[in-house]
Amino acid sequence: MRCYGLMIPGSETTRFYQSPLKLEPSPILRVQTVSRIPIRSVKTKATINGKASAELGQMSFYELLGITESGTLPEIKQAYKQLARKYHPDVSPPDRVEEYTRRFIRVQEAYETLSDPRMREIYDRDMAKGLHLAFSARRRYPYQNDEEMEEKTEWKNRWQSQLSELKRRSTNKDAGGSMSWAARMRRQREGLSKEP
Amino acid sequence: MDEPQYTVASDSETTGEEKSSSAFAEIAIGIDIGTSQCSIAVWNGSQVELLKNTRNQKLMRSYVTFKDEIPSGGVSNQISHECEIFSGVAIFNMKRLIGRVDTDPVVHASKKLPFLVQTLDIGVRPFIAALVNNAWRSTTPEEVLAIFLVELRVMAELQLKKPIRNVVLTIPVSFSRFQLTRIERACAMAGLHILRLMPEPTAVALLYAQQQQQTVHENMGSGSEKNALIFNMGAGYCDVAVTTTAGGVSQIKALAGAAIGGEDILQNMMQYLLPNSEGLFLNHRINEIKLLGLLRVATEDAIHRLSSQSSVQVDVDLGNGFKIYKVVTREEFEQVNLEVFEKCESLVTQCLRDSKVDIEDLTDVILVGGCSYIPKIRNVVMAVCKREELYKEINPLEAAVCGAALEGAVASGITDPFGSLDLLTIQVTPLGIGIRADGNSFVPIIPRNTTIPSRKELLFTTTHDNQTQALILVYEGEGTKVEENHLLGYFKIVGIPAAPKGIPEINVCMDIDASNVLRVFAGVVMPGTDQPPFMEVRMPTIDDGHGWCVEALNRTYGSTLDLVTVQKKM
Repeated sequence: MRCYGLMIPGSETTRFYQSPLKLEPSPILRVQTVSRIPIRSVKTKATINGKASAELGQMSFYELLGITESGTLPEIKQAYKQLARKYHPDVSPPDRVEEYTRRFIRVQEAYETLSDPRMREIYDRDMAKGLHLAFSARRRYPYQNDEEMEEKTEWKNRWQSQLSELKRRSTNKDAGGSMSWAARMRRQREGLSKEP
Repeated sequence: MDEPQYTVASDSETTGEEKSSSAFAEIAIGIDIGTSQCSIAVWNGSQVELLKNTRNQKLMRSYVTFKDEIPSGGVSNQISHECEIFSGVAIFNMKRLIGRVDTDPVVHASKKLPFLVQTLDIGVRPFIAALVNNAWRSTTPEEVLAIFLVELRVMAELQLKKPIRNVVLTIPVSFSRFQLTRIERACAMAGLHILRLMPEPTAVALLYAQQQQQTVHENMGSGSEKNALIFNMGAGYCDVAVTTTAGGVSQIKALAGAAIGGEDILQNMMQYLLPNSEGLFLNHRINEIKLLGLLRVATEDAIHRLSSQSSVQVDVDLGNGFKIYKVVTREEFEQVNLEVFEKCESLVTQCLRDSKVDIEDLTDVILVGGCSYIPKIRNVVMAVCKREELYKEINPLEAAVCGAALEGAVASGITDPFGSLDLLTIQVTPLGIGIRADGNSFVPIIPRNTTIPSRKELLFTTTHDNQTQALILVYEGEGTKVEENHLLGYFKIVGIPAAPKGIPEINVCMDIDASNVLRVFAGVVMPGTDQPPFMEVRMPTIDDGHGWCVEALNRTYGSTLDLVTVQKKM
């Protein structure tokens, strides 16, 4: 795995942020950060590019949402909604919109990952290996054939079969006499214009 | 920027100063500019109220007449007869034409409207004109919308007895970001500042969220999550949304939309009633326009009646020896418009698929917009959603504007002691945004239905050895090939260190901020050394005539400045 500054979410956000981000981590989050040992090794790297946003980047998704690692789906949803109400730019204080927007984006990523059982499984596994940050990097290559994609494919297949059924039905209609009137007219017109 | 008015308006958009500038926050009003009708609503302190014009109408027709040199719109205008609107003096359906080039099929379909829509078919803006004193007087969609918005603003200011500046406007899901800039321009011309642009079904979703929250308050407890599918179809556009709501938070799960609507149904029917009439209107002679106007009125009436009757008789003398005397059944109507209904069906299917919400988990199915009265539309949506019933607590014609007014109040920082404004909408991007790479492919960086605000990035690399420059072409849309999408802008990255192809890493990052402004950042990634300056470009940068840009770029650069996505084994 290639892992420059770019791969680390902390630095990833700093690449295009000019001003350092000021944060006020809530007490719960801070306590949990200390307990997370594997992240520390990464922290040093991330700090190169910006201390503050690295702090945000190094929090696990659970910490971001302020829930335990055994948190249930309703808990995740509840936490997400509460945080959205706080950090969403529509409701955040006007002078802190930018900062809260960054927060919101991270919270959103955490929610999207943890509320999806399959993605949460991958995330948990990576985190156990001490490389939970790599997960974010993985998301960057959507054309790669990994597990995350398989799950999407499953959805796709399910719907594609329905879509192809729809298509088949409409082709049959075209072939038969029950073709839509407008389509028939269009075809007629096309035929006419081709004639000399 | 060559448009100072627009720039000023949109720059202030990002500051959010309005919220804190005065002790009494200025409330934003909600406006729904429909293809055929429009309405305006405001939070009056305890609920949303629709404003009426002097003729006591809550829904006003969206047209502007240029009859006496001084243009006047459908808000104040008293038209003596319906047919007068269709005599060439009035311009309407501007929502279908705004921000489209003359190669767009929607523009071509508009050529049969009873005013002048002229195309050169080269990718520039179409020429639009109204008939004034036997001459075609040119105008633009932005101008027509602005005239209309000014009338709405004046009407609201008179009633609310205070100046209006901030608005929340509803827009179709399928609008490109370029079209949004045209809407912003029209608002700037009308002296209005856009606080939010809300896709129509998401405005309905917000109203639904408020209703559900109130129900919960009444029943105490049971603050469970509810999923709703919202289908909105007006004269110009069809939009679908899936929303999840709990505790006043409306989380949009997916959006889908297309420029298909009642106008298409009307045109199909007009052609059915008067076949082989295409050539008739191309010359735009006065009596032809009149004939077209009469046909339009008669057809519209027939379609409306077919919503409640199984067959209607159309009996109209169009003059010039054209007479229609025909019985049209509902079956014929449905057959004629089969393609429209199939498109509706596929939009609903697509939206449900994208939302990942199971049909069984849908609590409510909500139909709004003028076309929601058509029985076939209702049946199609109910069939896809496997539903016997539709949500009844919403007025199909007023829902969008009410939602916009709610958002206006929420976004203006207004609070309500009873918690009626304790609301939040979490929006998604209706279209994917990405760049051209891997040949002619569209590579999305922010895929469609991504929650906004959002920031995502992707790595690219060079396609030639010692390639020191790269062209970034930013597109928006859903197609896999770039030409199927809307071009938003382009710029060049220079100073890529000379290296074999595939080695340099170019990071392209897209950011949609709290005000829905899109910025594209791009630069070379060089670890360990000084970071070279990167590009930051606010999109869209293109102007009218953008159909030509890509061709010119291709001619000049070919594939010499191309990029490909970085494929990595994790």
